This record gives sequence, structure tokens and C-alpha cells, in this order.
Amino acid sequence: MSRTASGLKAWVLQRATAVYIGLFSLYFLLQMLLAPPDDWVQWRALFAATPMAVAMLVFMLAILLHAWVGVRDVLIDYVKPFWLRLSLLTLIALILVACGLWTLQLLILARLN
Amino acid sequence: MQFLVSRFNPERDEKPWMQTFEVETWRGMMLRDALLEIKRQDESFAFRHSCGEGVCGSDGVNVNGTNRLACITPVSELKAPVEVRPFPGRPIIRDLVVDMSQFYRQYRAVDPWLVRKDPMPEQEILQSPEEREKLDGLYECILCGCCSTACPSFWWNPEKFHGPQALLTAWRFLADSRDQAEQERLDALEGPYRLFRCHTIMNCVEVCPKGLNPTKAIGHIKQLMLKNAI
Repeated sequence: MSRTASGLKAWVLQRATAVYIGLFSLYFLLQMLLAPPDDWVQWRALFAATPMAVAMLVFMLAILLHAWVGVRDVLIDYVKPFWLRLSLLTLIALILVACGLWTLQLLILARLN
Repeated sequence: MQFLVSRFNPERDEKPWMQTFEVETWRGMMLRDALLEIKRQDESFAFRHSCGEGVCGSDGVNVNGTNRLACITPVSELKAPVEVRPFPGRPIIRDLVVDMSQFYRQYRAVDPWLVRKDPMPEQEILQSPEEREKLDGLYECILCGCCSTACPSFWWNPEKFHGPQALLTAWRFLADSRDQAEQERLDALEGPYRLFRCHTIMNCVEVCPKGLNPTKAIGHIKQLMLKNAI
């Protein structure tokens, strides 16, 4: 897709990530209801397992992309002044990247010893 | 029956204000008849109207908060006092008359005509009944503007977002088997604004006096775009 495909690309991305977010949330909810971890050690072990860690990372990435498209849409709709829009977009991008890196750090910590 | 009508005279008024009128109603009276009666009471009152039967699309107004065609809106359906205002979001020229230039510009921007690249045939270009059927629910648009002026995305970005009316028309020509400019039409709708400001709020579907569904048409365009992209 070309550089100008930002409309279609964003739209598809938002829908695709929504499907994954929905499915993973459902799975996670069932996991917590049917086999809730008894203590902190079990909770950490849950996220230390590779499939869960990868699924969680993909989930976080999906959330970040989904949120980015959504917030960008809101800012395009309502915030007209160029510098204000640019500042807000930058701020939100930084917050989202920080959230992603934080998740990565937590997952790495869960796997250490 | 009591009518509250929005008045605005650019030479005299700073902003629009509401004037109250009492109108004697009769069985089968339409809102257009009530507006004509109000005009008899006060000659300076201005509104657009023409055919009187929901075909020309001239007398779109905002009635009790909803965009409708005055000529096919029975007053018996309305809750009194009836508040009649001009279309929201458009510059007011006078009373209920608004400037629709932006709306027509967006219509023109989607090239609302058949584009042929092959040489024109001697006879008409034939369509199968199935191909013709695809245009039902699209060609009936009368450009009254009820949909686009009810669309929040069009309120926020009227100069960049095409709006439901123009996008319905875009799909009308994309869906036409005789048209040969699919790629150009899709390319012209790319980017975050022209098509993708639609957030499926569906005000357009709710207000269309012809019962058309611009949201569905927009969905078809997005699907076709996706099919072309992957």
C-alpha cells in the first residue's frame, strides 16, 4: 500500500486489532474465572510461559495500534490548530510507546529466575 | 398549533432568534403548508421550496431537532410547539435559507457522471437486470442535503470530508457496470479525510427522506478498496 493509503490502512488496522483484542480478552477472562492463580508465584508463572508471554505481547501491540488509530481519529475530528494537534499526537505516541515498553519489561522480569 | 421559527436577517440581526407563530392546521397538512401560512402572516419570512411532493429536495429544514423535507412531513406527526430551524452547520443566508455551496462542491468532487474509456458505442450501453439492480437505493438521491448536514463528521470537516451524500453518489458510479473509472474513483477517496472520516454514526440513514442508506454505500466502498489493495 502506498503512503497515501493512510485512510484504508488505519481502518483495516483498527478492525483487525479489535478482533484480536476481543478474542484474547475473552480467553483471559475465562482463564481467570476457570483457573485463577492462587498466589503471586502462580500469577508470575502464567506470564513466564512462552505462549502466554507472546500472546500478551501481541495483545499489547494490538491495544497500542488500536488506541493510536482511535485517538488520531478523535484529534483529526476535533483539534484543528496544527501545533496543538502535533503536540497532542506526539504526547500520546510517547505515552503509548512507554506503555508498550513497560509491558515488555514486566514480561521479561516474569521470566527471570 | 404553535410554531417556533428561526429568523435571521443578515442586515439586521447579530445571530438567529426564534419567532412564535400560531397556525390553524387541517387534516393532511404538511409542514410546508404551515410555513406557507407563516409566510402569509409575515411576508419577510424566507424559506426554499418548490415541487411540494418530496422530489425536488428544496425544502429541507431541521424540525424539532431532525432534518426533514417540510413538504412530506405531516404536522400531525410533530410535537407542539414545533421548532423549525435551518440545516445545522451551514452558513445561514436568511431565516431557513442556508448556503449549500460546500455540499455541492463535495458532490462535484466525486465526478458524479459515467466515465467511459472505450469509444462510445453506437447504441446504448446494455446492462443485465442484475447489474441494473445494484443501482437501486443509490440513484434515487435528490440532493436535499438532509444527510450530510446531520452528519457530525461533516460538521467538523466539511471542506475535507465528502459527507454521506457525495459518498453515496461515489458508490452509485462505482457500482455501475457501465463505468470504467473504478481505480481513479477509489484513488480519489484515499487518505484519512475524504472517505474515512465516516465513523458509522448513521445519522444519515436515520434522516434520509428517501429511505436511502449512505452508511451501507460507504461500507461497500471500503470493502472494494480493501479488495483492490490486497
